[in-house]
Amino acid sequence: MKILKRYKAIAIITGAMLFVACAHEDQPTESQLDFSQPNKTELDKWIDTSFLDPYNIKVYYEWNQNLVDNTRYLFPPTVEKVKPALEIVKKIWIDSYTTIGGENFVKKIAPREFVLVGGMNLNTTGTRTLGLAEGGQRVSLFQIDYLNKNSRPDVTEFIHTIQHEYVHILNQTKPFDEQAWSKLTPSGYTTSWYVEEIEDSRELGFITSYARLNIYEDFAETASTILTSSEAEYDAILASITDPEARANIQKKEAIVVQYYKDAFDIDFYALRDEAQKNTDAVLGN
Amino acid sequence: MKLKYIYKYLIVAFVAVLQCACTSTEADSKFDQTPIERLNIKEKELNDLLLSSPEGWKVVYYTDSTQLGGWTHLFKFLPDGKVDMASDFDGDTSTYRSQYDIQLGSSVGVVFTTANRIHLLSQSDNYPTAALRGKGHLGDFQFFYYGQENGDIIFKTNRNVQELRFVKAKAQDWTDLPKNTPIIEGITGGPTSPLFRLLEINDGSALHLYDFDFNANARFGTATSLDPASNQIYNLALSFTPIGAIAKPALVVKGQKLSNFVYDSVSDKFIATGTGGVSATIKYTNVPPTLSDDYKILLPGKIYARFGYYVGDYVEDAPTNSQLFVNELTAINAALPEGVELTSIQVYLNHSLGNFIYYTFAGGPAIFHYINVEEDATGKKIILKHKSWNGNPTAAAPAFLANFDKHLVNNNGVYVKKESFKLGYTNTVYTFTSASSSFRMTTWQLN
Repeated sequence: MKILKRYKAIAIITGAMLFVACAHEDQPTESQLDFSQPNKTELDKWIDTSFLDPYNIKVYYEWNQNLVDNTRYLFPPTVEKVKPALEIVKKIWIDSYTTIGGENFVKKIAPREFVLVGGMNLNTTGTRTLGLAEGGQRVSLFQIDYLNKNSRPDVTEFIHTIQHEYVHILNQTKPFDEQAWSKLTPSGYTTSWYVEEIEDSRELGFITSYARLNIYEDFAETASTILTSSEAEYDAILASITDPEARANIQKKEAIVVQYYKDAFDIDFYALRDEAQKNTDAVLGN
Repeated sequence: MKLKYIYKYLIVAFVAVLQCACTSTEADSKFDQTPIERLNIKEKELNDLLLSSPEGWKVVYYTDSTQLGGWTHLFKFLPDGKVDMASDFDGDTSTYRSQYDIQLGSSVGVVFTTANRIHLLSQSDNYPTAALRGKGHLGDFQFFYYGQENGDIIFKTNRNVQELRFVKAKAQDWTDLPKNTPIIEGITGGPTSPLFRLLEINDGSALHLYDFDFNANARFGTATSLDPASNQIYNLALSFTPIGAIAKPALVVKGQKLSNFVYDSVSDKFIATGTGGVSATIKYTNVPPTLSDDYKILLPGKIYARFGYYVGDYVEDAPTNSQLFVNELTAINAALPEGVELTSIQVYLNHSLGNFIYYTFAGGPAIFHYINVEEDATGKKIILKHKSWNGNPTAAAPAFLANFDKHLVNNNGVYVKKESFKLGYTNTVYTFTSASSSFRMTTWQLN
C-alpha cells in the first residue's frame, strides 16, 4: 500500500506539472492583416446607396483579376463611365421589375455581384461576349466604356445583356417548362450559332441566332428580346418572318415565357415589357 | 497489485508526454517577420517607391518583341491611389488621371484599376494583326514587383511574365512625349507617302537591300533580303523617341548592335549608324522592291486583255488599294453633279477599238481615255501615253477625272503586278501602281 500511495502522489504532482507547463503560452497579438477600409470616393458612396444598401448588390468596377477571365484581353472601365451605366441598370432593369413585381422582387432574386468591364470581350472566333452570369450570383457586363447613353441601339444592347442574364437567374430559381420548349424547334440548335444570319435563324423559329445554342439561351433570348423591344418592334420582327410555322413557334415560345412569369412570379410579362420600354425612353430622354 | 501497475504506467505516460512537450517542433525561422508582415512591408515599400519619384516613371513597354514594338508610357503616382498617365499609343499624348492599387496576386504588385492610356494595349477589339484578334496588343496592366536595380523598379507582367522596367522620369520626358508623334507619323506615312519601304544595310564594305514590310499599328516590321542568294530575314520591333526609333532587340550587323535609328525628316529616312561605315537605313520608295514581268501581257502585240475595278464590289475591300487611290476616287464623286456616280474603271489593252481606260458612271455616259502603251524594259513597267478623250485628240481631260487619271497616264509609268490572292471570285487579281506616286489600284482580270 505504501508503494501505491507513493505512486498516487507522484501521479498527482506530474499531472499538476503538465497543466502548469501550459500556463505560459504566447497569447495572439493584434492581427497583421489589413482590415482598414479604403477611402470611398463619391462614386463608391453612390453605388453603396443605390445598389448595396437597398438591394445587397455589390458592384465591382476597379480591376480585380480574380473576378475576370485572365486569358482574355479586357480592361476596367473609365471611372466616368461607371455611373451612367449603372443608372441605366437601375432605371430599366431594377425599377421595371420593382414596379411590376413588387418592392422586394429584386431584393429577393438578384445577382449579388456586378462586375463591370470597360473593354469588349472579343472571342477569337469574332463573336463578342456581352455578359456572363455565373452561378446566378455574379453578372459580368462588358463594353462599359463603349456605351453611349444617348444611343438607343447601345442602350438596348446593354440592357438586353442584363435582362438576358437576369432571366437565367430567374430560371435557376424556378425552372421553366423545358419539356414543352424542347419540343418546339428541336432540330435548330447548333453550337456554331455565330455563323448563322439572324434572318435565317428567325425563319427556323428562333428570335436570334444566339438562341440556337440551347433551350436555356433560347428562353433567355426570347424573353429578353421581347423585354427590350416595343410592342410595334416585336410585331415587326414577327411580320418579317415568311415561314408561318417558324412564326408560330416563336409565338408558342412567347406564350411559354408569359406563362412562366405568371406562374412562377405572378408577373404580367407584357406590363413588365411596357414598363421597361417606358423607362428606356426616360433614360434616352435625359 | 493491479492498481499499482495502472499508476506505474500512468507515470510512464506522463513522463513521456513531458519529454515530448519539451521537444521543439518549430523549425528555425528564416526571417525575422511572419509572411504577412513581410508582405505588408513589401506593399508599403512598393507604394513608397512609386511615390518617391517627383516626376514619376517612364516605361517603354514592349509587350512581345517577336511580333509587336514598344509603347512609351509616363506614370506619376499620387498619394490618394490616383495616377496621372500619358502614352504615345496614338496622337493623344495628353495626361489623364485614373486609379491604381497595390495588390497581392502571385506576388505584390501594382495594378492600374480603372481605365487609362495603358489599357489601350489590352483592347481585345483593337488588334494590329489578324493573329491577335481578341488579344489586342497583348498588354498587361498588372505588374509584379521584383525589386530595384540602379534606381529602376523591376516588374514582371502578370500574364506573359516579362520583365518591365520603371525608369525615373524627368520633367522633360513629359514635355518630350508629344514629340514622338511626328516621328511615328514619319514611319507610318500619309496618303502620299511612297508605298514601299526598304531596309538598306551597309556592312562597311557592301550595301544589302531588304524589302521592309512594316505594320505601323503593330510597330513591327520584317525585312526580307532582296538578294536571291540570301534568305536573311530581320525582325524589327520599334519604339519611338523625339528623335527616332529604338529597335529591341538590336539589329546586329558585323557584330555591331544597331538599335538607335535617328529620323532625318528631310530625306524621310531612319538611320542607325555604327562604326567603320556600318549602318542601317529604313527608307521609302515608289519602286516596288521586287519587280516582275507581269506587265508584259499588256504590251502591244499581245492578245486582248481587260482589267476592272468595280465600286461596291469585293475589289473595293482589297488591302492593296492605296489610301491615295481611295482619296482620288472619293474626289471624283465629290466633283460629279448630284445623281452621277463613278461605277467602274476598266483598262482595255489590244482591243479592236485600241487601248483605252474606260470610266463608267451611274446617271451619266461612259468616258473613253484612249492611250498608247509603251514598254520600259529596264524599269519593268508600262508607260501609258495620252492619245485622246472620247476619240477627240484636242479635247481636254474632264476636270473631275484629271487628277485621278494622271496617276495612270504619265511619263513615269505604271508597275503591274499579278497578285497571289483572289477577291470574291476566281478572277486573277492585278494591281496597277503608279511609279511616281503612292497610287495603287486593284483590279480583276476580266477575260
